[in-house]
Amino acid sequence: MLGEFEYLLITAAAGLGDEGYGAAIRQEIETVTGRKCSIGALYTTIDRLETKGFLKTWMGDATPQRGGRAKRMVRVTPQGIRAARDFYETVARASRGASWAAHHWSQL
Amino acid sequence: MKWGGMLVDSLAQLLERDEREAVLGDMAETGESTRQAVWNVCGLLLRRQGAHWNSWRPWIAAFGIAFPFSFPLMGFSVSLGLMSLQVVDPATRQMTNLDVSLLLSKFLLLTAWSWTGGFVMGSVSRRTLWVSALLSLLPCCFCLARFRIEDLSRFCLLLFLLPAIQGVHQGLRMIRLTLGSAMLLAWATILLTVLLWIRTGPSILNLALSWPAWYLVATASTKRRTRGQYGA
Repeated sequence: MLGEFEYLLITAAAGLGDEGYGAAIRQEIETVTGRKCSIGALYTTIDRLETKGFLKTWMGDATPQRGGRAKRMVRVTPQGIRAARDFYETVARASRGASWAAHHWSQL
Repeated sequence: MKWGGMLVDSLAQLLERDEREAVLGDMAETGESTRQAVWNVCGLLLRRQGAHWNSWRPWIAAFGIAFPFSFPLMGFSVSLGLMSLQVVDPATRQMTNLDVSLLLSKFLLLTAWSWTGGFVMGSVSRRTLWVSALLSLLPCCFCLARFRIEDLSRFCLLLFLLPAIQGVHQGLRMIRLTLGSAMLLAWATILLTVLLWIRTGPSILNLALSWPAWYLVATASTKRRTRGQYGA
């Protein structure tokens, strides 16, 4: 099963689609969580998820605003989507009846 | 370029090429301050190094060979240096009746132990090699500073380093030996150890120094040569 940060990363990468790369995913995670995301945590997690087969990465084009340096592009694989769905469903199941989730469930 | 930028670039050199490109590009794009950039690169480097230590390989290289082997190999180097001083009588400048075969077998044994230790160090853990090298050099510096034997250069302590470095170099390139070469090396080491025992008495330490030779036998390739594989 995925960890919390792994889930956030897969979700951010899936949302960005073909525009998913290191800086954009980091920005998305920081916006959603309101917490700082270190580059170390980001890239080691990307590697771990790639090893598990949940992500595919490759080096993209260099752009002037990046000082002419290439992007590491990220795409979520079908296995990654399955793992994220499993994580989400598990958390949703576990949260039923929890006081902090009651408002959320009443809206569904 | 400012000092901060140079520091970040220098630290980033320790990352692999593609990762360095991506990380420096990301930081340029998000306009990180120098302090944040240094923090981020250091954090990534620490995480990368830490990940290597999840495997048994760096532990074996650092604490099974590099550190524990340095002391006995330095001792053996000094013993070889002292023995070589007795080959020629300084007064008459003539050969003494020293057993040259013992000197030769000690030299070969030191070479074999150092080379096999270096080979295993280089082959099992190339990415943490700097830690192993540091753990090997620390005892050397300690002993060099305290060396007090007249007539013998303190650099005799480091006689083992040359074959060890050569072994590391070969280990990085080849990863494993062929079974024939590994068997030959291991049996030669044992034979030389036994010959030394016959003359100077048995020592369990000598046997312990031979384990990398047998590790090479255990992991030997049945193919002619294996290249281009990466250790941990």
